[in-house]
Amino acid sequence: MKKLLSVMLATAIMMTMLIGCADEKQSSGGGESDSKELTIAFSFEDLETEFWVAAHEIITDTLKKEGYKVIELNCQGDANKQLEQVNDALTQEIDGIIMIPVDGDTAVTVTAAANESDVPIVVFNRPPTSDEGNNITVVCDNATTAEATVDYMVEQAKAKYEKTSKKLTPCILVGDLGDPNAIERKNGFYAAIEKEAGIFNDVIEVPTEWDAATALANLQSAVQANPDIDFIFSSSDFLFPTIQSVVEPLGKWQKIGDENHIILGGLDGDATAGKLIDEGYVDGTGVQDLFFETEEALKAIVEAAQNGETDPDEVIKDPGFALTQGNLEEKRMDMWGNAVGAEQ
Amino acid sequence: MKITSLAFKRIQGGYNMGVFRTKTQKKKKSVRQILQGAFLSEYFILYLTIVCFVCVIPFVPKIITRSNLLNVMSNLWPLLVVAVGQTFVLLLGGIDLSQVSIIGVTSVLGTVLMSNSFNEDIFASTPLWGWLIGPEGGPMADSAAAIPVCILAMLLIGTLIGIFNGFFVAQYKMPPFMVTLVTQMFYLNFAIFLTQSRNVMGLPDGFKQLGKGYIGGIIPYAAILALLITMIGYFILDRLVLGKWIYATGANETASLVSGVPTKKVTVFCYAFSGFCAAAGSAIYSARLNMGRPTLGEDLTMDIVGAAVLGGTSLLGGKGKVCLWNLP
Repeated sequence: MKKLLSVMLATAIMMTMLIGCADEKQSSGGGESDSKELTIAFSFEDLETEFWVAAHEIITDTLKKEGYKVIELNCQGDANKQLEQVNDALTQEIDGIIMIPVDGDTAVTVTAAANESDVPIVVFNRPPTSDEGNNITVVCDNATTAEATVDYMVEQAKAKYEKTSKKLTPCILVGDLGDPNAIERKNGFYAAIEKEAGIFNDVIEVPTEWDAATALANLQSAVQANPDIDFIFSSSDFLFPTIQSVVEPLGKWQKIGDENHIILGGLDGDATAGKLIDEGYVDGTGVQDLFFETEEALKAIVEAAQNGETDPDEVIKDPGFALTQGNLEEKRMDMWGNAVGAEQ
Repeated sequence: MKITSLAFKRIQGGYNMGVFRTKTQKKKKSVRQILQGAFLSEYFILYLTIVCFVCVIPFVPKIITRSNLLNVMSNLWPLLVVAVGQTFVLLLGGIDLSQVSIIGVTSVLGTVLMSNSFNEDIFASTPLWGWLIGPEGGPMADSAAAIPVCILAMLLIGTLIGIFNGFFVAQYKMPPFMVTLVTQMFYLNFAIFLTQSRNVMGLPDGFKQLGKGYIGGIIPYAAILALLITMIGYFILDRLVLGKWIYATGANETASLVSGVPTKKVTVFCYAFSGFCAAAGSAIYSARLNMGRPTLGEDLTMDIVGAAVLGGTSLLGGKGKVCLWNLP
């Protein structure tokens, strides 16, 4: 009986696989483009942050609307799976790949696989760690954007120091250092801090690995060991709720103007950051121009596929900008998070 | 002489009876019985996989293209290697959760030895910097013997971790789940600690060939390694007394002990072999990705145990075998 049950379960699993193999009806035709149907594989890491969710939505919707067939590949943060999925896609006669790599090293490996198969590849938002292989990389100038944001935070810190004569204790939530974006953001942070080193104590680095649970545990430990932390830069906006959950019980989640306010900044420009800036909890955030990046990525891959370019090699830089309490009126709707929020 | 003759007659009679019985059974077998036999066969998964594969062909003809088949198999070779090791532990009625961390730790340790260069800005903060690795690479950088030596080092480390697991399970009767969970957590974090979560790049081209290269453009190197380990596993279980001991220990450890089976040594062997296989799988995974990665096997637990169980190995121990259809 047990064996029969096991057999039935196994059959059910196999049947599910079989059904899963059925080709999903793709949106084709009805598009605005007259060109032949191109098949684009879109490999992404996960959809954990608002930035990735929005990027995924814009890329897939635009491609489908234009009449292209999209093969979506979610590797759930696993580099090995990302390589396997892209290799699978390469056997399906695809015309191009857009990839959000797990990290910069994986971008190098997957680029090599695409180059071997003569398929053009666009690396979106997370650049490869080396220039081996040919790809089109669309990436924000993370160091400059982070520096501009932290410059504004340092201005606020200076004003506070002049008022209290007490040095501030800065803290940075560092992303996964396998990701060049995380390194660049960290460099931008230090470049700004070093301009006014005299008003700060030693910087406290909190590793997050781009994971909210890891960030929570490490930030809790850091705040316990250093209760004076009053200046936090988060390398990604998606960690603001994590910061709130750690500092709120300590009475430090306060609006600008309150003496317990922690000078707070981030980078990405998502809707949560936009809301927190509006409410006065966050001083500023670096904004990646998501619309510019997705548009450039789509344009690049479609052009390469239509022109038969198999190994285009180019870096497209998104200059980014800092949205702060100082320029909020002027630049509020330039931030993709606010624009998406308003649309919804 | 009489006895021999009698014995011969009995054997002959038995043989005849056997033939007779077989013939009788064959006559009586209905379609239902044949179907039932197929469904309850230990090769059921294999039959089902073939049926599934054939059914999909008309809908997705690309599935039988050479490139797709090679790609699918290349994704599965390292998993097969690791699952063979897991099968040995499952046959004991145990489980080896530490295989995933063995993959990570051996991936890092093996590749740092052979890497040709390390970026000082990234690796200077790692505990390996200065005494084991430097800007000019690891200790085996640019050495002709780097690849075999480093792979052997990976296999040795994996086996030692397996022996450690097996020792505590066998000697102290600790639950395998707990022992291997602890080693999994420890070695996973140890691997991250060693490189501070950084990936190891700059590996020799020859190592890359292990993951992507072909002999004569047809047979992948990874396939040869995977099939070799599968055959070793099959040989141990099917041809050696050790194999019988493993089944016996998994089916009833007390009875095996009473019967003279060295159950402790058998247990340690199975965990050691599991660690060995995990390290071999790690070599293939690392070569495919062309990097050493501390979190390499992190998400593979279900794939590994699933492959072994779907291949017919019982989680309760004492039942199962090493075969190629662990793969699906």
